[in-house]
Amino acid sequence: MNRTLRWVVAGVLAAALLLLAVVALPFADWLPGGTVADVPTSQVVNGSAFNRLFPEPETGEQVVFTQEKRGFAQARLRQGDELRALLSISDVITAPDARAKFTASDAVIQGWPLVEQGSQASALLVADRFQVKVIGQGVGMDPQQRHAVLGAFDLTGLAALKPALTGAVPLHLLLAGAEVSA
Amino acid sequence: MSGTVLERLERLPRRGLTVLALKGVSTLVPGTWQNITSADALIADVLGDDDPALIASVRRRADALSRARHEGYGRALSLYDAVNRSQKAAGGLRIAANLGGALPLVKRFASLTPPSEKLQAVDLALKVSAEMLAFTQVNGLPGDSFAEFGASLREYGDEARVRMAAMICFDALLPLGDRALQGLDGLLGQVGSSDLRQWPAYRRMAALLPGRGDQAHLGFLRRGVEPWLDWSEGLVKQLGLTGQRAVHALEGAVGPWQGGFDQLAVFLDAFTDTYAHTGVQAVARRLVERAAAEI
Repeated sequence: MNRTLRWVVAGVLAAALLLLAVVALPFADWLPGGTVADVPTSQVVNGSAFNRLFPEPETGEQVVFTQEKRGFAQARLRQGDELRALLSISDVITAPDARAKFTASDAVIQGWPLVEQGSQASALLVADRFQVKVIGQGVGMDPQQRHAVLGAFDLTGLAALKPALTGAVPLHLLLAGAEVSA
Repeated sequence: MSGTVLERLERLPRRGLTVLALKGVSTLVPGTWQNITSADALIADVLGDDDPALIASVRRRADALSRARHEGYGRALSLYDAVNRSQKAAGGLRIAANLGGALPLVKRFASLTPPSEKLQAVDLALKVSAEMLAFTQVNGLPGDSFAEFGASLREYGDEARVRMAAMICFDALLPLGDRALQGLDGLLGQVGSSDLRQWPAYRRMAALLPGRGDQAHLGFLRRGVEPWLDWSEGLVKQLGLTGQRAVHALEGAVGPWQGGFDQLAVFLDAFTDTYAHTGVQAVARRLVERAAAEI
């Protein structure tokens, strides 16, 4: 291949790349990837696994699920027309900072460390992996009420959840495994 | 549009026609509506505490979540933007066409010809579908059963009452008359693929709608609107919404209006962004509720 032709091919390739980038720019939001804290979603426990662990509503109360994403599920605790609290379970694998606050904790519920965040939020770290939180809404809740709600979650069931990989195993882990066994 | 959800929230207007129109509608809905444009105020409201360190860490988490493309917050906002841009473009074009066409006929100068009823029905159906797609992008599919998912939708509807009332008034009752909701399914039944393709928002949303081809999408629009219609007919009855009351409420906030109801609808389409405005506020609240739970 002669030298000029090589330059032309290189130029065309570079121009095509540039054109593709410009065309694809508006679609950046739709490209795959871009997970929270760059943790692959296969390592995060799906929110649907948390739903059945929420407290059973007492008489006059309702638990309405409002969000369910990878590593997160949230419900609202209602009493009649009144909003009492936000209840949530999240997988802290995407939020390592959230785990740090529990090291200073001196209170426990069913053996798991408990912290207060501000005047309306109480959080519990279960199995060093799942954060359970109650945030008082509207007229608010005192700490005893929030702790009672935290205790009503199925904490044993939550601790027993397998935080292991679900779904596809990342390729580099498979390759690493193959090398070890070889 | 660039930026995180909370940056978008802070860029929303604090005054102007959009805010006035929403204030007008909110007088028809019990409870107070606030035009929340401060991220810190929203976070403090959700947390029930105004400790600056806590607020800052919720904000960091919210920004990280909305930057993650996989989480769908950006997608929800771009859906709202697509609908909003197409609504404004269509409204503006109709006004421009009328001004141009009316110059020789001075008496028709101020008349803004509304679009055909079919196109208006498509516009409403696209808005409702965009709303549902955005809901699943932001909230996932909450609950383990269909009943729990339904409860979750109703909960969202109650939370977004002013948004829904604005959509019912501006996009159904004003342009299509007081029997708009009852007649909507019939109107959508008459819509063909060529009508659908005339609507700019459809071209942007087509890739997101389930099914392939215009006919499948039309079917989705009709089925998607059905549950919303049931719910919103209830809201219309409960609040006693009519085109007349909507115009009165708007006149109280914006000023007197001399033209017809449908002309007012064209004017609102062209000069206000109520759909995207309340959409950003709704997404921001759900995002902050999640971020507050995850810090």
